[in-house]
Amino acid sequence: MTDLLDALTKLLLFPGFAFLFACAMLFAWIDRRVIARLQGRVGPPWFQPLADWIKLMAKEDILPTGTNGWVCAALPVLSLAAVLTASIYIPVGGWIAQAFEGDLIVVLFLLSLPPLAYFLGGWATGGVYSVIGGNRSLLQYFSYEVPFLMALCSPAILAGSWSIAEIAARQSETIWGVLVQPLGFILALVGLIGKLKRVPFDIPKAKSEIVAGPLTEFSGRKLALWHLSIEVKTVVGIFLLVNAFLGGSGVSGLLPAPITFAIKSLLVLLILSVASVLYARLRIDQLANLGWRVLAPLALLQITVTVWIGVA
Amino acid sequence: MSNRMTIPIGPQHPLLKEPLSFMITVEGERVVDSTLRLGYVHRGIERLCQTKTYVQNLHLFERVCGICSHVHTTTYCQGVEALLGLEVPPRGLHLRTLLCELERVHSHLLWLGVLGENIGFQTIFMYAWRDREIALDIMEELSGGRVTHSCNVIGGVRIDVGDAQFSSIVSQLNDLEQRVEKLLDVIQHERTLRVRTQGIGYLSPEKIRNYCVVGPVARASGVDVDLRRDCKYAAYGWLHVNVALAHEGDVWARTMVRAREAIESLRLCRQLLVGLPEGPTQVRAPRRVPPGEVVSRAEAPRGELLYYIRSDGSDKPARVKIRTPTLTSLITVHDQLEGVETADVSVVLSGIDLCIACADR
Repeated sequence: MTDLLDALTKLLLFPGFAFLFACAMLFAWIDRRVIARLQGRVGPPWFQPLADWIKLMAKEDILPTGTNGWVCAALPVLSLAAVLTASIYIPVGGWIAQAFEGDLIVVLFLLSLPPLAYFLGGWATGGVYSVIGGNRSLLQYFSYEVPFLMALCSPAILAGSWSIAEIAARQSETIWGVLVQPLGFILALVGLIGKLKRVPFDIPKAKSEIVAGPLTEFSGRKLALWHLSIEVKTVVGIFLLVNAFLGGSGVSGLLPAPITFAIKSLLVLLILSVASVLYARLRIDQLANLGWRVLAPLALLQITVTVWIGVA
Repeated sequence: MSNRMTIPIGPQHPLLKEPLSFMITVEGERVVDSTLRLGYVHRGIERLCQTKTYVQNLHLFERVCGICSHVHTTTYCQGVEALLGLEVPPRGLHLRTLLCELERVHSHLLWLGVLGENIGFQTIFMYAWRDREIALDIMEELSGGRVTHSCNVIGGVRIDVGDAQFSSIVSQLNDLEQRVEKLLDVIQHERTLRVRTQGIGYLSPEKIRNYCVVGPVARASGVDVDLRRDCKYAAYGWLHVNVALAHEGDVWARTMVRAREAIESLRLCRQLLVGLPEGPTQVRAPRRVPPGEVVSRAEAPRGELLYYIRSDGSDKPARVKIRTPTLTSLITVHDQLEGVETADVSVVLSGIDLCIACADR
């Protein structure tokens, strides 16, 4: 009975759903605020992301005629479920809900589900903008996913373990991954930006070209769930990077583990926010070029060097 | 072909700030055909003005366009003044020109912001529109209005600049010039912006001449036309205008031309203020206009603006025909869109700086 209670607490409260929801809202707010300040604006108050979300939840839910309501309802739920499940295996501030040898692979797999759901969402609703957005999101997926996966393999190879908690612990004992593999960290960051469809890789939802991409026809609760799944994915992605490259929550440093972890996460978020202020949106062919001509070879180089060091 | 798709852009679309409808046929990501529909904001202004007196029409023509409102009344007043044989005092001409140039600055900055937004560069949008506020502030200080200034009257202008205003405006102009130069520096060196705009929407000088394209779009293709220099109206006879030119003929060149023009306009503004002659700002105009017809032209922010006015001797015009620069640019859209990527449609459309309210009237 206590086991069940414990599991439920971990799943629903901390570091499960409630915690991630709060983090998602907080990160969304910090992100919007930082971008606003950098662009010479004031930015929203702290409760704005929450208010937006509640408003969307309360709005009327409309779908175009001829679409399958069940599929359209299932896709955002699937997307959200995948990222929430992924979060279970990611240690947060010293707490580990679940861990086993090989959970990095599981997390990477789960994190690659939402883009597929996103693509299907475009095709399921069937509008012109949605379909083009869906196609673009799939093309984009092929461009960033390979470098992203390869970049995240190298810390695992270096640590000699496929467990995220293990990688983080090994790094905080010895040296942070970002110092040994700065290239890998940058590649993973770029991959993450692509995954989250943030500027300059917001190609599938380019407003001035295809309105809102695959999400054009969604509204109300379904749209709210899509937004939530993207926001939670931001949090999970950042946590993953902190664990894989920045030594996780550290062992016994100057600061308590949760605070160290929070600082590192906010730092990564800051990088994402600044990047989205600095660049214009790329075109899909330019992204594919970047992905396959620059990022993928660099990621290969990174892995080769890591394996070579590991063997030597 | 099965993989052909028709994408509607407009009449309501995030890309467009004014209603206009494009149907774009794409094959994969490549545009193969496009059609255009105009007329969503047709307000019948040319007909309406025949029922109003010459003075009332000032207010009407001010509202043809929300961005270049002043240059419309300037062109109209010039025409009516020519019919009346009125000589506008130099001070009036200077102030009229000052607002024209400020309007150019504000229009070009607005355009730069729209371009930024359309290629997903939010920051440029925010910065350009923030800096544009200064131009609007100066115009408000001069005329009391930020967008519609009601500054022109037949026979001159109804505003004047005092000593206190003079120094405040000059200091704001200096501030604005620094900011625009910084913006120019940013857009010149930002690689993603360059990658998105270079080689897009190319128009050759021959095409420009064939389609009679005017303004910054023509100048970006190396066609050296600028009425401020070629047909010195208003106070441009006293000024030396350096016409910004580029030869690449793509959206990037148009960006550069407009940014450099904005800086040149600020220089002209300062020159106009410093060389402001003494004297009255307007002369009285009679109510009735003698019969005759006239063509009046001026360089609007988007290029040559043309008014044809015919008078039958009454206090109302018999016919007014307006030809706006946007119309000529719109004709080229089909050529520019052919073969570009879907993603570049927004770049092409923002590159020509559409003003649909002007084109539809």
